[in-house]
This record gives sequence, C-alpha cells and structure tokens, in this order.
Amino acid sequence: MKSTLQIGNDEKFNASLFFFVIAAAQVGVGIHGFQRVVVKDAGHDAWISVILAALFSHIVVFFMIKTLELYPSNDLYGIHLDIFGKFIGSIVNIIYVLYCTFAFYSVIKNYIEVINTWVFPDLSQSFITTVLLILVIYAFTGGLRVMLGVCFFSFMTGLWILIVVYMPLKYAHYNHLLPLFGHDITSIFKGAYSMTFTIVGFEVINTLYPYAKEKNKVQKYVHLALLCTLFIYLSVILVSLVYFSEAQLERTLWATLTLFTVIKLPFIERIEIIIICFWTIIILPNLCLFAWSAYRGVKRFKNVKGTTFIWLFSILMFIANIPMQSRTQIDDINNFFAQIAFVIVFLYPILLYIMASLKNVLRKGGRKNEKG
Amino acid sequence: MKKGNILIVLLLSCILVTGCTSQEILERIGLVTLIGYDAAEEDKVTATSVIRQINPELQSKVEVQSETESTSRGTRVKVDMKTSKKLAAGQLRVILFGEDLAKNGIEDALHTTMMNNEISTSIYLAVVKGTSKSLLEYPYKDVTDVGQHIYNLMDHNIEQQHIISSTLHEIVRDNYSEVRNFALPILRKNGEFIQFDGTAFFSHGKMVGNLPAGDNFYILMMQDNFKDSTLELVLDGQSIDSSKFEEKQLQIAIDSIKTKRKIKVVNPEQNEFDLTIDMKCRLLEINSLIPTSDAKLLEKIEKAINEKVKNELSRILKYSQEVNSDIYGFGEQYRAQVRGAKLTDQKWREMFQDMKVNVDVDVEIIRNGVFE
Repeated sequence: MKSTLQIGNDEKFNASLFFFVIAAAQVGVGIHGFQRVVVKDAGHDAWISVILAALFSHIVVFFMIKTLELYPSNDLYGIHLDIFGKFIGSIVNIIYVLYCTFAFYSVIKNYIEVINTWVFPDLSQSFITTVLLILVIYAFTGGLRVMLGVCFFSFMTGLWILIVVYMPLKYAHYNHLLPLFGHDITSIFKGAYSMTFTIVGFEVINTLYPYAKEKNKVQKYVHLALLCTLFIYLSVILVSLVYFSEAQLERTLWATLTLFTVIKLPFIERIEIIIICFWTIIILPNLCLFAWSAYRGVKRFKNVKGTTFIWLFSILMFIANIPMQSRTQIDDINNFFAQIAFVIVFLYPILLYIMASLKNVLRKGGRKNEKG
Repeated sequence: MKKGNILIVLLLSCILVTGCTSQEILERIGLVTLIGYDAAEEDKVTATSVIRQINPELQSKVEVQSETESTSRGTRVKVDMKTSKKLAAGQLRVILFGEDLAKNGIEDALHTTMMNNEISTSIYLAVVKGTSKSLLEYPYKDVTDVGQHIYNLMDHNIEQQHIISSTLHEIVRDNYSEVRNFALPILRKNGEFIQFDGTAFFSHGKMVGNLPAGDNFYILMMQDNFKDSTLELVLDGQSIDSSKFEEKQLQIAIDSIKTKRKIKVVNPEQNEFDLTIDMKCRLLEINSLIPTSDAKLLEKIEKAINEKVKNELSRILKYSQEVNSDIYGFGEQYRAQVRGAKLTDQKWREMFQDMKVNVDVDVEIIRNGVFE
C-alpha cells in the first residue's frame, strides 16, 4: 500500500475530540428548517423519523469505521486507490472531493439566505460570503488543530441555545403528538429520508480517522456524538410538533427560528436575531471540515500547500456564489444535495465495506498461497 | 508583514465593517407599536398606525397616522411619506381588526403578518367594536401612548386569564389547523376608556359570532386550565338552606380557582365527548348568615356551584356549535384519541355541529378565608 499517509505523532489528536468534531459537523444550517420537510412526509410522527434517521447514521458510521479499521493509517481516498486501482480510484476520489465542495457551498448558501431574510434584507450576498470565507481561511491556515479548536468552541458555546428551545413549551399542546404511529411505516421512512440534508456531516470521519491517537476509542466517541445530535434534533422536532399545528409547520420555512420569535426575555426581545448571528460560529466547523476533506482529496492528485488550496477554493466558492441568488434556486440545490448525500453518505459506505473486506480476504488468501 | 498578520487585519476589518450594515438609529426611526386594520371600499384596507418617536431632548412623541391602500405594505409607504422618520415595525406589539374587516375575514392580514420577518409571533391580536381608526384616533384624557396602553391592557389581562390569550402564534396555529378555530378578544371605546367587551368567535378566518365579557370565564375554562382566577356567582338560595335563608338569590365570590380540564372521546361513532372539569377554589364572599364552618352546608354550596357552572358551560358550548367555531380543541382531541380518524376541515365542521358533550363539573372548596 504505497498510498499510506505519513502522519507524525504531534499531528495526531485525542480520540475524545471526535465527539466535538462529529457533533459540530452535524449541526449546521439544516436544523433551521428541517421540520417542514419531515412533517410533510411523516406528519405528527416526524419525531419517529428523526430517531430512525439517527439509527441509520449509527449503522452507517459503524460500517465506515470498520472500513477504516482495515486501513489503520489511511483515509477514504487511499482506500479508494487501493480498492479500485489508480484510474477508477481517482475518479471516485474526484466525486468525493466534489461532494465535499458541494456540501460547503450548500452550507454557505443556506446561511446567507437566512441572514438575508431575517436580519439584513439589503446586505449583499457577496459581502456575507467574503466574511465567511475569510473566517474559514483563517481557521484553515491555522492547521488541523485550530479547526478542532473551532469545533470544540462551536459546540461548547452553542449549548445555551438548547435551553432557549424549551421556552416555547408554554404554548404547547401535547395532544398534537397523538395518536402514536398514526402514519404508515412508508411515510415514516420517507420522513427519515428527508432528514438526510440535516443529519449528514459525520462523513468527515472518513478523512479524519487516520489522525486519531487511540484508534480503538474513536468508535465510542463518534457514536456518543451521534447520540448527542439525536438528542438535539429530537428536542427541536418534539418542541416544534407540540408548538405548531401540522399545517402551519408545513408552511413555515424556518420553523426553529419562528419558534424563537415568541420568546421574550427581559433584556432582549428578539432572541432569534442573536441566535442567527451566533450561527456563524455553529457553521464554521462545517465549512472548515468540508474544505479540509476536499483538501485531503486534492492532495492525492497534486501536492499543493494548504494555504494555496484554501485561497483557490475560496475564490472558486465566491464566484460560484454569484449566479445563485433566489430562494427557489437554493431549494433546488438543497434537494439535489440531499439526493447525492443520501447515496454517498448512507448507501456507499456499506458497499465500500463489503468491497474492502473482500479485498482484505483475497489479499490474505494471496499471501498464504505465496507462502505455501 | 507575515501572512498570519494579514489575515488578522482582514478579520478585524470584517468585524468593523459589519457594523456598517443597515443602521437603525433609535432617534431616526419611528417605532410602530400598534396597527389597526379596517375594511375600506373596493377591497382596500385602511391601516392606522400608532408611531412612537424617540426624542433625546424632549418627551417622546406619539403620532397616529391612517392611510388606505390595497396592501398593507402600500399603506406603510404612504404613511412613510407623511412622517419625518423612517418607520420600523420591529416593536409592533398589538394588531387590531375593525369589526367589518373581521367579518369579511382576517386570513390575508394574518398571512401578511406571518410573512414579515420583522414581526414577532408573540404580539397580541384583538377585534375592535366599530372601527379601529376611531378607537385609536380619539384623544384619551389619561392615555399618552395609546399603543403602549392597549398592549399593557391586554398583557396583564391575558396574564391573569381574564381574557382569551390571543398571541399571533396561537391564532395562526389554530387558523391553519384543520380541526380547530380561534377566538379573539373584543375591545371597545367606552367614553374616556378602552375596555374589553367580550370574545369574538372565528371560523375560517371570518368572525361568526360573539359573546359578552361575562362569559369569558367559562370560555377560558373549557379552553385551558386555570392557574388562579376569580369568579362571582349567583346561586339559587332556596336549594342551599331554605330555613335560614329566605332570599331567592345567593351571591358568592370564589377565588384562587385552579381547574383541570379533560376532554375524552367516549364514543367515536356517536361523536360523543366527556368534558370533565375539576375545580379547586377558595370561598371569599358569601352572605354573613351562612355558617361556613358547616361541612354539610359547604357541600350543598359546592353542588349548587357545580350545577351553575355546568349550565353556563353547556349554554356556551351550544352557542359555539351554532356558529360552528371549535375554539376549545374538541377536534384536536378527537384526532388524537381516535386512531385513523382522518379528520378533514369539512368533516370536522359537520361533526362539531352535532357532537354530544357530557359536561361534568367537580368543585371543591378547599378553604374559606380567615373568618368563619
């Protein structure tokens, strides 16, 4: 395996940090309005869909880590090259790099849309993009350790929002949740499928895994992080379901933000404005990790420096941002991204695991034959 | 200069530059604190806004402006042309609807309000007897800011559960719900005062009926649980103690009322409900001849209260069925308790009119003041 990564011990980090990385990578722009799409399919049983989606992500992560364990010092790109050979492996790598780029793009677009509708209607999109990109460049050029720090701080400083989520329960009608399992199983599964856009993010493990110090502990922390985000998503969807009526929820674009508008605190009347601005810190890990994942893939083709990469990447993102301005275009982007993400994040890892273990068995068999 | 320093300069300039986006300086804007909508000819709408202008040197000024246009945004542009300061709706606290407009339907006005991100969902709504324009433009002797005055009036009455809670969120939730209708409090100008005049029942966004303020207690009792309320009752004196008490009527007052409302579907096919209300209260005022230490007598009083409350509830329920406005959530309970109910808007409208409700009230006097 010539594609093995050479990672010095000082570049590696503790497995426990995976908890913050995965949690921060998962929570992003999706949480602002995922209720609408899930409720459209699963109605008041949407919370069951959320649990199902989280369950699937646990299964997928299990397979991802199993695959990575077969190649202890290699990331997804190396695995591709090993399994598919140089040519096909490179094509698959390009697809994965494009996926990460697309994820980055979609996060930026959605966040700008929220800022433009809720806070500054007349602020130019290019300006917000520039600000966000400079932040990303700053974190990226600092190296992986800085990005992990961003993840940690984003998670810790965002925790207070969870308390705010429970405040609208004053207006709760708990009977909205009944009867349990009022929808058939297909619509609940459909709802779980609609969660894709919101729940992805944990795939950054594909590129981060080789950097873990204690590889055997990674699995535990990643699953813990998934449980933690499940708790966040479940809280939000349950509060939304009892707070809104079903038809109202289907019409509310960013239900989580609308939820916050009812809260009045003595020192601030419109907490959602603060939360939206604060969200920059929440999406920053998303952006950094996706950019970094793309970088690892690009590095397999041409050995570019991180700084050069991120500047070029940012310029590309800035240009790509200009033609897409309207809400309907962004909706199209989201739907398209969700479809791609479902294939790449939820279906492909299982397939890859089967292929990787087959290859592993064959290789061992081959060695035995040689010896014999 | 090192590369890192350039980035830091860029970051800092971003922080400074973000401060320059769309300024809203308090002294240069007029805060719209209240809007009243009335119906005008040719499907147009008259909007009357109460504008508070903050003046750093003098006392702040309150201005009432009224304009007629086809959309509410159009009226705002027209009002903007008449005021010296830019209007901002972020401090909007109350929206009033004239009686005529309420009868024509307020669905469009609700939709417009929900689409506007400036407006919080915690604002109050109410119907005005007559036109809201005449209510707002009258120079009240003791009221300096009519917007703030009406907000405070509604706020503390809703807090004390004297009138029906009518935040924008609750109204929109019930309006879009297929199995529920909403009600709004009615305001009326009474000489030099503004006062509550009852409750307006809505069905599909149109005002279909109203009940006087005296019935508020019973409406609220069926809609929600009381935490602490007060009630004055006239009981039949003969039924309590005919020997001691000769007068026909016995006036009593109870307070610290805590109620628990339960709605149960007892027979889904027959469309039959059980409405149970558990009430705990304190006896506060009663004729001095009646010895309140007598447990048997208290029991009789409890029974008489039961009977009285039950009759009132049945009467109000009958009225709501007549005007076909389910503001209590019977439909919601039906949907929650009957599996596979598949209630549609039309279906529930028909069912609500001929549903049967067994009202059961259980009053318990738990204490009676400090003097027997």
